[in-house]
Amino acid sequence: MEDGVTATQVVFWILAVVMLVSAIGVVTAGNIVYAALFFIASLGGVAGIYLILTVEFIALVQLLIYGSAVVILILFALMLTRARERPQALFGRSRPLGIAAALGLLAALIGGIVATTWTTPESSAAFEPVGLQTIGDAIFTLWIVPFIIVGVLLSIALDGAIMLASPDEDDN
Amino acid sequence: MPPLEHILVVNAVLFAIGVMGVLTRRNAVLILLSVELMLNAVSLNMVAFAVYGHVDFGNITGIVFAFFIIVIAAAEVALALGIVVRTFRNRATANVDEVNLLKW
Repeated sequence: MEDGVTATQVVFWILAVVMLVSAIGVVTAGNIVYAALFFIASLGGVAGIYLILTVEFIALVQLLIYGSAVVILILFALMLTRARERPQALFGRSRPLGIAAALGLLAALIGGIVATTWTTPESSAAFEPVGLQTIGDAIFTLWIVPFIIVGVLLSIALDGAIMLASPDEDDN
Repeated sequence: MPPLEHILVVNAVLFAIGVMGVLTRRNAVLILLSVELMLNAVSLNMVAFAVYGHVDFGNITGIVFAFFIIVIAAAEVALALGIVVRTFRNRATANVDEVNLLKW
């Protein structure tokens, strides 16, 4: 924006740098557990950006579901699948190719973003925060059927995960 | 508020980092972490569009989508980790390039 850098933008960039640096840590860390810890920091950055965008509800959901449940699941999976005997390579043979593909994708995305004209609300006064009540109204009226379907799907998926991970008595 | 372009560029970088993780890592759990990074970038994008378009268009579908994405991601993580644990029990490895039963 032309009217100088606001405090919100400074906080946004701090959070963005934290998020991106920890994301790089997730994909480059030499230790699996460090990668998971970097992932938590990255999720915190994303939640902070949700707060800057004034959607407290999504920030809360992010912290509750991702920051606690998903991270605990992942740490348990890391603990259960730890191969202790041999030190193993964390990266595949095609690593340079993967990095090149990611950079190519990044260039294409940023090229597309720069080439498009975006409209931003001019000032914070014109900007209207999305309240919790608006989101609740939308979810429980317009989106109630997808909401119920997602609930059923979540129950089925969690039951399936328990079935998958539990040892079977008849096979072994 | 930060301009929309800045948020989009940050999310594009986050998405590309996730792609890099998926393409370079061997461990299935770390690949899953990278997929989560990509999902985060996409839902952040949706929220940004919804919040900036709220004034002009008056709907918040993007925010509801971000909420659904987070819930589906939780289900996906649970299922994928169940599969990884089961694979580890059968093959004693969590590396995706060593699980080659379907390869001849």
